[in-house]
Amino acid sequence: MSRYKTVLVGAALIALTAAPALAGWKLVPAAVPVAVAKSTMKVTPGEAWNRASHRASKKGETWTLDGPSINEVYFAAALLPGETFYKDVNKKEKPLPVMGKNLQLTDIPEFYESSQRIAYNTAVYEVTGSEPTKFLGQDGIKFFYTFAVQGNPMQYKGLARATLIRGQLYLISFDAPAINFYDRDHAKAEAIMDSARL
Amino acid sequence: MVMSRGMLLLAAGSLVLVPMAEAKAVVKAESAAKAGEDISPLDYKPQDKDERGLWMQMDEAERALKVSPQVMRDAALNEYVRSVFCKTVGQANCAPIRIYLMRTSQFNASMAPNGMMEVWSGLLLRTQNEAQLAAVLGHEYTHFQKRHSIKLFRDVRSKSATATWLAFTGIGLLASFGLLADIFHFSRAMEHEADIGGLNLMAKAGYDTRESSKIWEQLREEMDATAASRKVKSKKDKNGGIFASHPPSAERVAYLAQEAVTQPGTPGALGTDSYSKVMARYWPLFIDDQLKQNDFGASEYLVSSLGKEGWTSWKYFARAELYRRRGGDGDLDKAVTYFSEGIAGDGSVPELWRGRGLSLLKLGRTAEGKADLTEYLKRAPGASDKAMIAMMAGG
Repeated sequence: MSRYKTVLVGAALIALTAAPALAGWKLVPAAVPVAVAKSTMKVTPGEAWNRASHRASKKGETWTLDGPSINEVYFAAALLPGETFYKDVNKKEKPLPVMGKNLQLTDIPEFYESSQRIAYNTAVYEVTGSEPTKFLGQDGIKFFYTFAVQGNPMQYKGLARATLIRGQLYLISFDAPAINFYDRDHAKAEAIMDSARL
Repeated sequence: MVMSRGMLLLAAGSLVLVPMAEAKAVVKAESAAKAGEDISPLDYKPQDKDERGLWMQMDEAERALKVSPQVMRDAALNEYVRSVFCKTVGQANCAPIRIYLMRTSQFNASMAPNGMMEVWSGLLLRTQNEAQLAAVLGHEYTHFQKRHSIKLFRDVRSKSATATWLAFTGIGLLASFGLLADIFHFSRAMEHEADIGGLNLMAKAGYDTRESSKIWEQLREEMDATAASRKVKSKKDKNGGIFASHPPSAERVAYLAQEAVTQPGTPGALGTDSYSKVMARYWPLFIDDQLKQNDFGASEYLVSSLGKEGWTSWKYFARAELYRRRGGDGDLDKAVTYFSEGIAGDGSVPELWRGRGLSLLKLGRTAEGKADLTEYLKRAPGASDKAMIAMMAGG
């Protein structure tokens, strides 16, 4: 699922101005290191992916193989305290949570969960597990979650890896329908996470 | 013709609608709903092409709803809400109406013309007793009984199909300014009629009708709480002004309180115990959903409201989590206090130790924090975050 879509639907209902521009996609070639999320974080994908020209945040980037509602990798890099995972598009009515000052690794799943719940406007969301991992060469956290969004009969599964480096948060997540696509594609997304370097 | 989300909302008479704009104007709600007999769900069939079309659209929406992951299928909760509904509208009338309980944190309920009702979990968290729930269910039933959806549909169409369709797809809203205001005026009158109809049903069913206006008083207080914590002006008197499809909440409080004097129902019959007995199982889930909405003021207000009936471990846990998650100046100390109160109670929620442990670690009280995390793992050996917490406890 893409937050861009959520924004579009919202915009279609309430926009007073012209329709928003359509998302563009650019091919990211396989086996070539590429910087993501306007940061020094580089990843090397095992196959070609599509990068969205629209950014869910200034410090975010979205990739997909077949479309964001089928398989979506989201990168967030160098987030600082006070910043959000996505653009705070409805700040007045439904502000997104901001990164806390003394964030610990164990706080990251709940920070991400709350952000996704608000961005997708759903209460059907559960963090199903977390464990220590290595990410960007540092101690990090890997966590798993499931969710569903209104008007879509699909159950989604996701996993993310994150770490804190000099007070800055780095995260790569992968979301896909629980039926077929998650199992089919999560290893490709995890290979991207494995390849991440600063 | 594919219905837009806006049109679906229009077709389903909803208790609360998100205001379409924030212009302010007072439009007096008066009964503009055209005279017409009430219908019974038992034998009513759509009468003409318009209504058949609307029902067909709603039947299709209902088919999608049936497989929605948002629907809460828990038998005890469904049976209870249905029993309150049947008590309110009568056993015969309730049978054909389908109620879908939706896991959605906001306060809302809606009724479609074909007899499909939605009640959201955010509403079940906010109604404080059975009488308040009956008021909402009675309100929604009145929408059905008075055929508000088809009347609204026709009103919308008669004023200018093109402009309205465009308006609801988000284009041309400004162009149809005057027209829309007129449509919403009509809708507000129907909401007024549903409010009063719901109160009549409450009275007949033997509930204390004063609870009807209290729902809106509570919501107004909650809006104040949200505003105070976000340091903005309260939206309680901002119902979208000229575009508002629902009467302003202050007006609702006033006319419902007045009507309750005329029709008191059974004073004191609130059904608080029966409501709490069933809801106690679900409140922890609903309040957890609420905590994750990033609305500190509203969450604190709702936790305090639940606390009025006595503080239990999970209520202390909810309040403590609220402060731990915000983590501002002094918040962690407050969180530790509330976690400790829960632990001093029956301590039935293992996460009390997790929360206190993580808070203490941030406060630099490392040894105590690690001891709490170890205790959490002892009490919840199968916890999904076991490996991560074990690292924090031992590292």
